[in-house]
Amino acid sequence: MGCCYSSENETSEQDGDRNEERKPLIPHPNPVSKPPNGTDFPPSSIPSARTDEQALLSSILTKTAQNIIDVSAADSVMMEQHEYMDKARQYSTKLAVLSNSLPQKKALALPSLTSQPHQVLASDLVPYSDVQQVSKIAAYAYSAISQIKVDAKEELVVQFAIP
Amino acid sequence: MMESTLEQHLDDTMKNPAVVGVLCTDQQGHNLGCRGSLSDEHGGVVSVLAKQAAALTRDPTDTPTVCLESESGNILVRSHGTITVAVHKIAS
Amino acid sequence: MTTAALTAGLERIPDQLGYLVISEDGVLASAGELENDEHTAGVMMQMVRTASRFRLSGSVEPPFKRMSVILDDFVYTVTVSGQKVFVVKRQNNQQEPINV
Repeated sequence: MGCCYSSENETSEQDGDRNEERKPLIPHPNPVSKPPNGTDFPPSSIPSARTDEQALLSSILTKTAQNIIDVSAADSVMMEQHEYMDKARQYSTKLAVLSNSLPQKKALALPSLTSQPHQVLASDLVPYSDVQQVSKIAAYAYSAISQIKVDAKEELVVQFAIP
Repeated sequence: MMESTLEQHLDDTMKNPAVVGVLCTDQQGHNLGCRGSLSDEHGGVVSVLAKQAAALTRDPTDTPTVCLESESGNILVRSHGTITVAVHKIAS
Repeated sequence: MTTAALTAGLERIPDQLGYLVISEDGVLASAGELENDEHTAGVMMQMVRTASRFRLSGSVEPPFKRMSVILDDFVYTVTVSGQKVFVVKRQNNQQEPINV
């Protein structure tokens, strides 16, 4: 009863490192406990008198509610221009601090392509016909690409029948 | 279907016996189509090479061709407008 | 090899208009049209790094010994040996510019 999250909790504890990476860089000032549209089904609120079937139904509803991104409520998270700038500044400051603590990644060593650089550099140039051929292939490919039109057949946003 | 124009062009290119691979990518390295020895994974390097080579000339009408050469064959890279193609030719 | 020995060979390359010898730390030698050409040196270093990531399936080595950048009037030929990048600018004597 109401323990449909137990397995998820276990995995996130075992996977401490990945969990750490998913943590927001800057904590949200006032965390929203509810989804934007206000529909929530807290598992703890299910009375113990309910049957297993009802509990299962509730857990399915909860899961579904979590998996849906309500685009109609998206405007509620719109940011003002100055808020956006503030956020960008906060993130870049935070990133600058964090990147200082990262180990410096050393540039990869150069590959060795030849032991006789002079001979390799002095040998015949690429045939002109090959250069001409690749130019033509590129020009044809470009004209072929320019003719592609997007032909969307399916709706990208699905309307739910909300009573 | 309009998309088949590029596919047809790639198939035609592969009919040349010296050509063993062909790839077409956009400026971001997204693969638009490929055949033979050249595949998805090469799109990024190909588009970046073409972009870097463009910095070697101030004349915008002088499009560079980049060629990676070996005894067994050459990989030629060339841009046209918003796309870049790579053609792998074996030595004849 | 001393720098003089390295560059003596480059001077003898047919149709050469200039050259660069570059290491991780910067330009070691330069001459002709590429004399003190830091811009070209920088771009070539980037291109060598990009091109050396190129692998054909099943191979662990970059599939080339030389990289050429072909322009209408000249060609840059580039190779890497002993942690040094060699760039030679050669005249492109082949036919007229490509008109597509």
